[in-house]
Amino acid sequence: MSTVAPFVRVLDAPPVLARLYPRAVTSRPDPSADPTRTALEQRGVRVDADRLAAYDRVCGFPLRDDLPPTFPHILGFGAQMALMVTEPFPFRLVGLVHVRQRIEQSRPLRLGEELTVRASAAPVRSHRSGAVVDLVAEVGTGDGEPVWRGVSTYLARGASAPAGAVADDAVDLPMPDAGQPALWRVPADTGRRYAGVSGDVNPIHLSTASARLLGFKRAIAHGMWTAARSLATLDARLPQALTVDVQFAKPLLLGSTVQHVAARDGDGWRTAVRGRGGIPHVVTRVLPG
Amino acid sequence: MAPALRRAAIVGGNRIPFARSGKRYAQASTQDMLTAAIDGLVARYGLQGERVGEVAAGAVLKHSRDLNLTREAVLSTALAPTTPAYDVQQACGTGLEAAVLVANKIALGQVDSAIAGGTDSASDAPIAVDEGLRRVLLDLGHARTPQQKLKAISRLRPGNLVPAPPRNSEPRTGLSMGEHMAITAAERRIPRQAQDELALASHRNLTAAYDRGFFDDLVTPYLGLKRDDNLRPDSTLEKLSSLQPVFGRSGRAADLAEPTMTAGNSTPLTDGAAVVLLASDEWAEQRRLPVLAHLVDAETAAVDYVHGGDGLLMAGAHAVPRLLERNGLTLQDFDLYEIHEAFAATVLAVLDVWNDEEYCRERLGLPAALGTIDRSKLNVAGSSLATGHPFAATGARILASTAKLLSERGGGRALISICAAGGQGVTAIVEA
Repeated sequence: MSTVAPFVRVLDAPPVLARLYPRAVTSRPDPSADPTRTALEQRGVRVDADRLAAYDRVCGFPLRDDLPPTFPHILGFGAQMALMVTEPFPFRLVGLVHVRQRIEQSRPLRLGEELTVRASAAPVRSHRSGAVVDLVAEVGTGDGEPVWRGVSTYLARGASAPAGAVADDAVDLPMPDAGQPALWRVPADTGRRYAGVSGDVNPIHLSTASARLLGFKRAIAHGMWTAARSLATLDARLPQALTVDVQFAKPLLLGSTVQHVAARDGDGWRTAVRGRGGIPHVVTRVLPG
Repeated sequence: MAPALRRAAIVGGNRIPFARSGKRYAQASTQDMLTAAIDGLVARYGLQGERVGEVAAGAVLKHSRDLNLTREAVLSTALAPTTPAYDVQQACGTGLEAAVLVANKIALGQVDSAIAGGTDSASDAPIAVDEGLRRVLLDLGHARTPQQKLKAISRLRPGNLVPAPPRNSEPRTGLSMGEHMAITAAERRIPRQAQDELALASHRNLTAAYDRGFFDDLVTPYLGLKRDDNLRPDSTLEKLSSLQPVFGRSGRAADLAEPTMTAGNSTPLTDGAAVVLLASDEWAEQRRLPVLAHLVDAETAAVDYVHGGDGLLMAGAHAVPRLLERNGLTLQDFDLYEIHEAFAATVLAVLDVWNDEEYCRERLGLPAALGTIDRSKLNVAGSSLATGHPFAATGARILASTAKLLSERGGGRALISICAAGGQGVTAIVEA
């Protein structure tokens, strides 16, 4: 386990995912690499109204000065990817599966704030299907404590964790006690639209042809789009300070019709997007604070 | 048995700063802006999670998909999702008419609290398909046989693919509102300089009102904008008088010898939203919310601008005498006057006809002229020329500001007049 503070590399410009993905195909993982050694930081990041409006339209949030709690993920995603591709990393990016996401925010970030975005990684953990690694994104204003923290858990199927690694102890999120589900017809161009606002141009989301190359029947939704679209239904009922846990289950094929359920759970909420037969695609839990 | 009538209290208002179209709010929808305006009101008056009696609002430039615009906005706000809502649309009279509707329900005891307002975006305006294409698509939908479908498609022409943007012209005259007003201004011989002076006063009054913090509890910043971006604090009469006329120029429908209406003394296309909170006195008292003023009475008039020889924007001049008579008041019995500045010439033409013996006798059926008003009581915190005019939002902006102005001076009576497309005018009396 790493106890040393990571070396912070400051990025001059936001990483371009369209360049990182091709590199991810050719780059070789280094099984002995310690991903916690380096952190990548971007300073002076500002969100403009056009970008926020485009994100809000794709995900279903109204356009406010407050950034939706899922929005900062797209600010840190590029640096997270860069950490896995341009720095020594124990797993191949291609084949990693985003299985969980945690979001903690002490208050909503606001349009026009000057932000610092930092991406880092946590020690690799062992998992019953391989190994998992957490990519962390922290977004704050200036040098203070981060206001927003996202932990993206990636599973490397069949990979092995270093000797002595802690075991991943996450359990499945329970489904909400749901009433009448809402029907969502997920348009086939959702992946391209979300790629346009998030920069995540992973081919599995863009078209049937590009998704087939990577073994999918059709293009699949970005997990973070599905999560954002789900949380957008709660909208003004989302607490200002919150913790969200998201579990990504079965991939959601674009062009299909799915059910959305949301129910109160104590002070918080549970939501789920589920397909035919009630099989969950995405399950979330929202807690205040 | 019908309950005793009670006067609706104006508790407060909220709006987002108004923005010239295509600029700061270019990406915001009418629903986004209405949501932001309501949420600011909810935050200011502690209405989070509360069920308000009803919300009535609307938009003039409205997408066909927004059939439930206000209800959809309410569902995005922090108000209880059990708050009912409906859309109102009476052109530029929308916001004030919505307030009158909910005030009447409060007066009757049908609701104890309500939010009224409006929102408009000239940036995010709906664009429809060409009428010919629409017909073809409808017939295609009804067609059963391949022959019928082919027949429908065969009517398509390349020109059908050009979309139809919204028009700012009156369907029955083909003239834009500005052209209509230019004709009235010429008929009433409203001098160019008087129009420019009124525009200048609007900018100066609005600047002063912002500077003294008048809008601190009436405006919530949106998308980083803190003040109306049409406001020109440093405007001068020289600058305004140097502008070229834009309405009534030669070659246009209203071909006038001396056109007077410029971009400076006319309102620009604007984006924004405004709402006002009304309630019974008891409801406000229970929440320890001070009452700013009461909405006493209202009158809406319409004129025959198509065949009757009346100016399109002159209906307010017709509504006010009826309102005065019903309330036993004269035009001079007011401490404040709020006459919506669609164009500077609109305000001046209305004041002009009220002081015209002949017009008052023949057109308004009055025994004598209504007379003049003390111009120092007119639009004292600025009006639409400086603020901008997102059509449906203007009524709630004016009503909330008027109520606060009356409350500030410790009481008094105000007259509001707002002209609207279709030859209509909504007027109201507010007292504190």
